[in-house]
Order: sequence, then C-alpha cells, then structure tokens
Amino acid sequence: MSYLKGFLVTFRQIFQKRVTTPYPSQKRAKPERLHGRHVLGRYEDGMEKCIGCELCAGVCPANCIYVRGADNPIENPVSPGERYGFVYEINYLRCIHCDLCVEACPTGAITESKMFEFSFTNRNDAIYTREELLVDSESGKPKQLPWEDWREGEDLNTSGWLRATSPNGDASYEGQIAWSGDLGYGIRKAEIGQSDTETLEEEQ
Amino acid sequence: MAFFNEENEEIAKEIVGRYPVARSALIPLLHLAQEQEGWITKPAMEQIAELTDTTSVEVLGTGTFYEMFKFHPVGKYLIKVCTNISCQLLGADELFEHVKTALDVEEGSTTEDGLFTFEEAECVAACTEAPCFTVNYRYFHRATPELFDEVVVDLKAGESPLSKGCADDQGVMPKHGTLSRVRQQIPKTRSAGIKHPEEIKGPPSWIEEVV
Amino acid sequence: MTDITSAETAVSITVDGKKVTAKPGELLIDACERNGTYIPRFCHHSRMQPVGMCRMCLVEIDTGRGPALQPSCMIECSNEMVVDTQSKKTIKAQEGVLEFLLINHPLDCPICDKGGECPLQDQTMAFGPGESRFIEEKRTYRKPIPVNENVFLDRERCVLCDRCTRFADQVAGDSLIHFIDRGNKTQVNTYPDQPFSSYFSGNTVQICPVGALTAAPFRFKARPWDLTEVESTSTFDSVGNRISVQESRDRVLRFTGVDSDSVNWGWLTDKERFIFEAYSNENRLSGPLTTNEVAEGSQKHAVATSWSEAYEKFVKAINETTPERIAVIGGSRLTNEAQYIWSKIAKGIIGTDNVDAQLDDGFSPEVLLSLNPSTIDKTCKPGGVIILLGADPKEELGALYLRLRHAILQDQCKLIELTPTKTGLSQLATHSIRVPPGKTLEAVKALSGEPSELEDDILKELTKVQKIIKNNDSISVLLGRTSLAETSSIVEEGAIKLQEYLPKASFLPLLRRGNINGAIDMGLSPGLLPGRCDLEEGSDKLQNYWPTCPTHKGFKTKEMFEAATDGQIDVLILLAADPIMDFPDSQLVQEALDRIETVIAVDIFATDSVLQADIVLAAATATEIEGSFTNLEGRISPIRKSVTPPGTARPDWMIALDLVQYLVPNLGPSTFKELCEEISLVSGIHKDFDFSKVEQIDKEGVVLNRGKNKTQTSLIKIPKQKANSFRLVVTRSMYDKGVLSAHSSALKGLAPGSRIKANPKDMEKLGITSDSTVRLIGLKGEIQTRLTPDPETTRGTIHALWNQDGPDIRKLIDSSLPVNDLKIEKI
Repeated sequence: MSYLKGFLVTFRQIFQKRVTTPYPSQKRAKPERLHGRHVLGRYEDGMEKCIGCELCAGVCPANCIYVRGADNPIENPVSPGERYGFVYEINYLRCIHCDLCVEACPTGAITESKMFEFSFTNRNDAIYTREELLVDSESGKPKQLPWEDWREGEDLNTSGWLRATSPNGDASYEGQIAWSGDLGYGIRKAEIGQSDTETLEEEQ
Repeated sequence: MAFFNEENEEIAKEIVGRYPVARSALIPLLHLAQEQEGWITKPAMEQIAELTDTTSVEVLGTGTFYEMFKFHPVGKYLIKVCTNISCQLLGADELFEHVKTALDVEEGSTTEDGLFTFEEAECVAACTEAPCFTVNYRYFHRATPELFDEVVVDLKAGESPLSKGCADDQGVMPKHGTLSRVRQQIPKTRSAGIKHPEEIKGPPSWIEEVV
Repeated sequence: MTDITSAETAVSITVDGKKVTAKPGELLIDACERNGTYIPRFCHHSRMQPVGMCRMCLVEIDTGRGPALQPSCMIECSNEMVVDTQSKKTIKAQEGVLEFLLINHPLDCPICDKGGECPLQDQTMAFGPGESRFIEEKRTYRKPIPVNENVFLDRERCVLCDRCTRFADQVAGDSLIHFIDRGNKTQVNTYPDQPFSSYFSGNTVQICPVGALTAAPFRFKARPWDLTEVESTSTFDSVGNRISVQESRDRVLRFTGVDSDSVNWGWLTDKERFIFEAYSNENRLSGPLTTNEVAEGSQKHAVATSWSEAYEKFVKAINETTPERIAVIGGSRLTNEAQYIWSKIAKGIIGTDNVDAQLDDGFSPEVLLSLNPSTIDKTCKPGGVIILLGADPKEELGALYLRLRHAILQDQCKLIELTPTKTGLSQLATHSIRVPPGKTLEAVKALSGEPSELEDDILKELTKVQKIIKNNDSISVLLGRTSLAETSSIVEEGAIKLQEYLPKASFLPLLRRGNINGAIDMGLSPGLLPGRCDLEEGSDKLQNYWPTCPTHKGFKTKEMFEAATDGQIDVLILLAADPIMDFPDSQLVQEALDRIETVIAVDIFATDSVLQADIVLAAATATEIEGSFTNLEGRISPIRKSVTPPGTARPDWMIALDLVQYLVPNLGPSTFKELCEEISLVSGIHKDFDFSKVEQIDKEGVVLNRGKNKTQTSLIKIPKQKANSFRLVVTRSMYDKGVLSAHSSALKGLAPGSRIKANPKDMEKLGITSDSTVRLIGLKGEIQTRLTPDPETTRGTIHALWNQDGPDIRKLIDSSLPVNDLKIEKI
C-alpha cells in the first residue's frame, strides 16, 4: 500500500482549484497592454489615416513593414492630404510586436490590437496587406482573416489607446485618449494613469 | 506683342539708351507702362523684358516688390486712406467706413464705373495733418467725411479738387499712373556718357590720386 | 565661388579659440567648415555667389572693433579675425532664425519628399530652439504647382533662400523663376504661362534646402532612408558626370549630382538626371532572342532562346564567313572593360578590322590622336581664350556648358565662336562669328593670316579675334561636329590647321556619345588597337594575348554600310548601336541591313535596328554593372553596380567573355579580374592603371596620360554652293527621339519637335511664308514641310534639328557628299 503514499499528492490536488487553462478551448484574459496584430485606422468620413510616410517602416527594428506612398487621386482621395499609403504590408513572421511603429505614426493610423492568435500554413498569408489591416469604413471593425482565432468581444480591443502618453506632458491629461476623429470601434476606458495613485488605491 | 504705343515706345527706347546696362531701365519702363495703362499688364511686362534684355518673370518679380506698381486694373483715381496710429486717433476709422459706404466698394476694389479704387494705406508721413487721405498720391489733410464727399463730387464732375488739398498744389488731377506733368527729355548729346561697368578701368573717379 | 588666387598671403583667424589658417578671400563659412567647424546655413552654396538671405550663419565676429553678429557666408576672412560660433549671442541668433523660418513652414515632414535628408529638419534638430511660440495660422498656398514638366513647387515650404533662383540666373542662365511680391507674401514662382523650361531645372531640386522643390519622377516613390546609394558615373554623355545612384528594392529611383571639382561641380542636366527611368522600363530586353526559321517572304519573328543557343548561333554565323566580311559597329555605351574584350573578339579572335564605335557623327580617331589633349579645367582656365569650332555644348554636353558659362562669366575667359549656327553660348561670346557651313578651314586660314575666300565682314571680325589670340597664351579649342549633314573632315581640317597655327593650343573633342573616348582607347575604331596605337605598332604587344591581329586598316561605319550594299558584308555585330536611328543616312543603313545575312545585336532595348537583328543578346546597363568610364578628357572614373539586370540580361563584358570561351576555348581572360589585368598589360596608356580597383578612385577620377601622333589628312574639296540652293545644317538638340528618352516618362514629352528654319529674307525672296508648304529636295530624297523664319539662321542655309518628330530630315542627307545642298520648291 505504500504506493498509495506516492499518490497522496495527486489525490490532494484533484480537489484543488485548477491553475491551468485548457487552451485553446478556453482563453485567459489578456493583460491590458498586450501587443497583438496591427490595425490601420480610418477617420469618421472613411478616409484612411495612413499617409504612406514610412516612418513605421523606418523605425521597425525587425524590418517587417513595407510601405510605399503615392499621389492621392484628386477625384477620389484615399486619405486627406496629397499622399497616401498605396502599399502597406506587415510580415508577421518577422514582427516582434514592439509597438515602435505605433509610437512613430504621425497620424495615429497604425495601432495594435490584442489579437495575437493566428497561424498560417504558408508564408504569403503571414504578410498582411493594406486591405487586410484596414478597419471597415462603416463600423470601424477590423477584418477577420480565416486563420485568425477570434472570440466574442476580442475584436473590441482594437482601438489605439495603447499609445503612450508623452513623458513630459501635463500629468492631468494622463490616461486620456489623445486623438479624436477615429471611428471609435472598441474604444475602452482609459487605463488609469500611473501618477493617479488615489484611483489606483481605490481599485485595489 | 507690342504693348507700348508708338510714342511711348520711342520714349522707352530713349530711356533704355540712358543706361550702360539695359536692365537698369526696368523700373523707369514700369512707370511708363503704368502711365499708359493705369496698371501694368502682361503684354507690358513682356515687352519691357524684351527691351531691357531680361525675362518676363524678372520684370514681374521686380515690379511686385514695389507697392505703387499695380498688377491689377485700377480706376482713374486711386483713393488711399491712412489708418495708421496718428490718423486713427483723429478719426481715420470713421473716414474709412465713410469712404466704403460713400463709394459702395470694399477695400482693395474698384467702383463699378471704373472711376475709383479704394485702398487702405499705411502711414503716408502726414501725421501732423492727420487724418489724411490721398487721391492719386495727392494729399488731403485734416480730412473729414464732408471733405471727402466734396472731393468725390469734384472728381465725378471732372473738376480738380486739388485746391481742397495741399495748399500749393493747384493743377489738374491727373489720372492714375501719371508720374509727372512734365516728361524729362535728355537729348543724346547731353547724356551723362556713363560707361559700362566692365569698361571702367582703374580706380573710381572720386578717389583722388595720391601723388 | 570665391576666387582664391594664391595662398601666399594666407590669413590667420581664430575660430572658437583655435588658431586656423584661411586662404585670402575665402568666405568665413567655408574656412570654418574646412577646419572642422560647421556653421549652419541654408542659402550658402559654394558653387554660387553668396547672398546672405537666410541669416542662419550668423556668428559673432570680432575684427578689432568688438564682437558683433555677422553672416559668415558674406564675410571674407581677414587677418586676426576672432570668431565665436558657440557664444550665447550666436546660439540665440540661430535659435531665433530657425524659429522665425519655421513660422510659416508647414510641419508636413511625414509626407514631404525631403523629410529625412532635409537641411531645415537636420539643422532645426541641431541648432533649433526646440519649441515654437507661434500659435497663429500658417500661410498656405495651392500645392504643389508644377514649375515645369518635372519639377513641383510647394511654396508654403519655401524659406526664401534664393538658391534655386540664383541657380537659374547665375549658373544656368535661364532666369525663369524669381521672387515675386514682397514681405510675408514673397514667393518663388514662374511668370504666368511661362514654365521654368531649363535643361538644368532638376538641379534646383537637389540644392533646395527644404522640400519646396521636388522632382516628379521621385515624388513619393520612397523615403531617403530607404535608399541605398553608390557613387558612379553618368554614362549618358561623354562628360562623365559624377552621380550618386540611389536605389530601393532593386529599382533605381534617383540620380543626384556629386560635386566633382574637375568635372561637373555637382550639376547634371535634366536628361541625365531623369534618364534612369528608362533603365527600369518594362520594355527592356530581358534575355537572348533569335529569329525563327520561317518560310521565305514572311516577316522575321523573334523568339526567346537560351544563352548557350544564342552563343552557338553567334559562333556559327562567324565561322560561316571570312573575317573581312564581318563588321562591328558601336560600343560607346559599354564600359572600358567590355570595350576591350569586344575589341579583342573582333580584332584579335575574329580578325576583322571593320570595327567602328562612331556612327559617322564624330571625328576620325587619327585626327583626334594628333591634337594636343586638354581637360575641362584647362579649357576653363581663368583668363583664357576658348575657341568653339562646332557643336552646341548646351544642347549636347550640358554639364560642360555650365562649366564654360562659369568660365566666361566669372573667370574672365573669352569665347570665340566659329560656328554656322547660333549656340547656347553665343550671347556670352566675345566674338560670335557665323562661318558658312563647310567653310571652317577658310575661317581658320583667315585667322592665321592666310588668304581665304570668306566675306569681308567675317574677315573683319576675324582680325579682331586674331588680336585676342595673340595676346593670350592659354588657348583651348572645343571641337565638335558643326552639322550632321556634312562630312567630319570640314572641322577636322580646321582643327589641324589651327594646331599648326597655334601649336600651344589644346583641344577638347566634343564627341558626345557616352564612353566613346574609352572605345577609341580600347581599339574600337578602324586601324587602332588598344592603347591608341596603330595596327603595326600594337601587334607586338598583343601577340601573346591575341591569336590574330588585322594587318590592314578596315572600314569606317559609313564604308561598312557602303560595302554591305555591294554584298561585301555577311555578318554585322551591333554593340548597342542603332544605326537606323543614329546614322545620318538612314536609307543607306536600311539597304545595307537588307543585304547583310546575319545581324547580331547586343542591346538593352528593342530599337529599330535590333528589330532587324537575327540574334539579340540582352545586355545590362550602366546601373547594373561594375566597370569604368573614360570621359572626353581621358579621365577614368568608376561605374558601380546598384541593381540587378532584368531577367537573364548580362553585362556586356560577361557576354564577351562567354563568347571568347565559345570561339577559342582555353583562351583568356576568363574572369573579370583577368580581363582587368590583361588591359593593363597590353595597353600602353593604361599600363599604370589597375582596372580591378576602380571603385577606389575618388570622385575626381584619374586622367590618362595620352600621347599624340602625327597625322596628315588629305584635303576634301568642298563644292561651291550653287545659286538658289540651300546648304543643309543639321544639329542636335538636348531632347530628341532617342531610345532612352523615349522610355523615360519624365523626358519623352520634352522633344521640341521638328522645326526647319530658314532666314526670313531668303524666304521672302522665294515668296514663302511660314504657312506655305514647300518641297525640300536633296540628292537622295525629298520631304514636304513648312519653314520657320528665323533671323539667326545664316542666309543660304536651312537649319534643322536631328531626330525629331515630323518630316524625316535624314531623307535629305547623302553621306557620300561632303555637304548637302538642297533645292526649295514651292507647292
């Protein structure tokens, strides 16, 4: 019977609360600041925010972004201003989700969602094109691609609130969403400002 | 694309001949063009460029630097009301509004009959006689709306309002663009004989030779 | 540029506490930069005169009267000058100027083409205040406005530095952009409806210190940080301008000029600047082609083939005939290395001397070799005399034109023109003499005091010229073709006579076609072997490397075509040559091509001549190869590879090396390195030159020391012009229907089109107006056209531009005649 002694730990644990999650049938809540795949935003009139300036591509440490600008067609402009991004590609085999592109973007066009669960069977699928990254011009909802695993509510975590507040900015504006004119799909309540200790303590 | 009339073309060539380098005649010719047409037209600039061996854009660029050259049509009389500080303190704003309603024009535009162009002026250097307005650069001192109305009545009637302005100016009010009542004539024989700068050798004439 | 005459009286100045030496007359800003202190600037440009527009270079200068802020770009160094570039006052001034400049400058850097390489951006980061107090609305303009076909202007970005307008006025001499209006309304603009049509407009884009002027071909194509650049040489014309080739994702996106003190001073013509568009055109040949064996009578039909098959066909065609029935034309587009190995194939392996790189539009190499060599610097030597015997440098060699213009206007050079037509330099010439076509020798005779049959008024002018020449010991002659409708001997004879009269004069030949000077050096010319030596002299050196060597002189291009029409040529190899387009007598070419059995073309585009070829070998072009280039001075500079050629197209030298292996297995060279070594071994003029290390040459290049030979030419008898006939003068213009221009979207619309000009007095005499159609009748053909009255055209001549849309002028040219006289018939 001494072998039962060995099972003691097992039996004791059977009735304990489980600490693992049966992924992928069940998902854990993700941290507030998770960096997932990108989305390209639009203004309220449906115009693309991206102006093809390539600053994201320039700052990218993994060299995964390829952007080319072009003259905006006067009759049917794609973005406000004279230039728009006519090629926008992100290679997710390379992307390290560092978010530097989001920091660099002068128009707030590119943001990262919390969606990171996708797998491909070929390399071409890993390169997300502009059409795939752009949000819907009506609703602002990102496009779901066949190989992406989305659960209910996850697509709401798309808006660009991950943008850091300028370190030398006025503390009283910390945590506020900095720009308007977004289609606003899935805008969440702002994260509490780090200097806002009172609220922090309350929540705890 | 000749712009100057025959008489003025003669004068233009004479003016060009006065200078060792043709392009020196650019501004005198702009005056001549403004005198002929009241403002400087495109054909005028093109012909001046030809006469002074410059390009049209150099003529345009040089001309537009000077405020008194007009590159849009101007009425027969150019009325300018000074609104700078001295005039303003003594009622220039009221005068300005009065001119606008009396002539029924906006600042910077011309009346429908093509008689008056109304402009706001920066200081016209008559602060002791403020407020002041000018018609074709002829001064009217200590102006009141009534004085302005009288001047306009005279001008519309074709009479000279100059007696109401600066005391010693009694002539006829010339149309806009007229530079002078008497044209300077310098016969070739009396020209200063200025040499082309490249032909001048040695020190300038005003430097006395040290013995 | 400041005139730095001598270094004897060097001045000593103190910059930030450090004693440095400056040249007398040197601008303070340049002296500081030379000694490692960079003073920020926008308007200052060392190739233009200072204006002190931007105030960015204010520094505290003390010349003994106490320190004061002064613009360092306007102040010449003087002895004991004390300069403080770091003082509080200086820094406050710099911050103030930048804040002021940024008041109306939009912050649209993310979409601005200049963003990333912008002096305003960089200097704001380095010297700016960091913050602006300006909260009002900025000035706006309609944007962008095209100032010409290729340059866009965003006026709100302009900081009024006067660089572009100064360039247009001082350097290019096309004062078509100017400051307009005044105060805060000042803007740079063109005259309404008069575009900035200058051959050099692209340079303003390069020197603009902000993004106000941008080039259409580069607009939004890439950001500066995408670009990988290599320093190379423009192979488009024979000046060999130094350029920076900038590429992104294996596509050349931009050429910019590199400031080479002895060549182009950083300037390029628009044609050279925007020609890269042609190189990435989708119509480029991407692999070898051969013609199908089809039933007789039907059209030749080109099909793609493999390289080995193409090579085998090449060898078969060569082996089926004898050497003297083989001809090679062209080669000026090739690098020096490729020219040598092709020369070896033709002369050393096949054994034919029917090799010519010139298409009857240049000069006989024997004449060129017998003249005193010159360089651009020597020609533009301050205070010298320049004699222009032919060709309009503005139309043919733009960068040289800018150097000549500077020499005349700033360095007191005197220009004497002896040309049949007015040129771009005529206005600046001390004496611009219209020598009737065909009479160059007569003019030179008159100059040297011999009797000549020219008219009195020309003779009178020439006596004045004589005085100028006598009083000057620096005389250079520019030698170019005055007209494509006359034989080259006319100018050649003049040049030889001039050398006899002025033995100290130096000659700069204006052969315009790419690397034509390299081709002559490498032996791509009848009667010449690599190293510019004749067949006898050179054969000793070559015997270890070349299996055979031709013993007697072969045909020139014109003679080859004439021989071909008689059925004497079986195989014609076209090395990037398009004789149908470029040879003056197009009918002769067509007859010849119809008779020749096998035409082999090595080219980058399917030109009219390539379309008639039986074997087409697709070549790589200037941005796709490593090699070297020889310019008109004999200056060797590197050509560097930037992108890969399309498809399986190969560099010319590689094609040639492959063919060597097919023709004579085991004969070297077999690698590029061996090829480079072989040139230095066999060519006398290249013996001290290491071709495998050309990329280490700096931007000034290396000038070859080329000796000169004695030569005698037989005098050509120029027929007297008959009464009522008109002598045809055909000159080139910058833009024409050339195959590269046609494949560049920026250039293809710029050709002026055919304008056949005559003197209005002649037209009046004939009763012709500009509206009446006339028939021009030459010996070989006729065309119908209208004549444009032009008082500048010499009486008794007809002046036409080469290779333009409209009536085909080549129909009137019979290349067997020394001059072409036309009859005019009214319809």
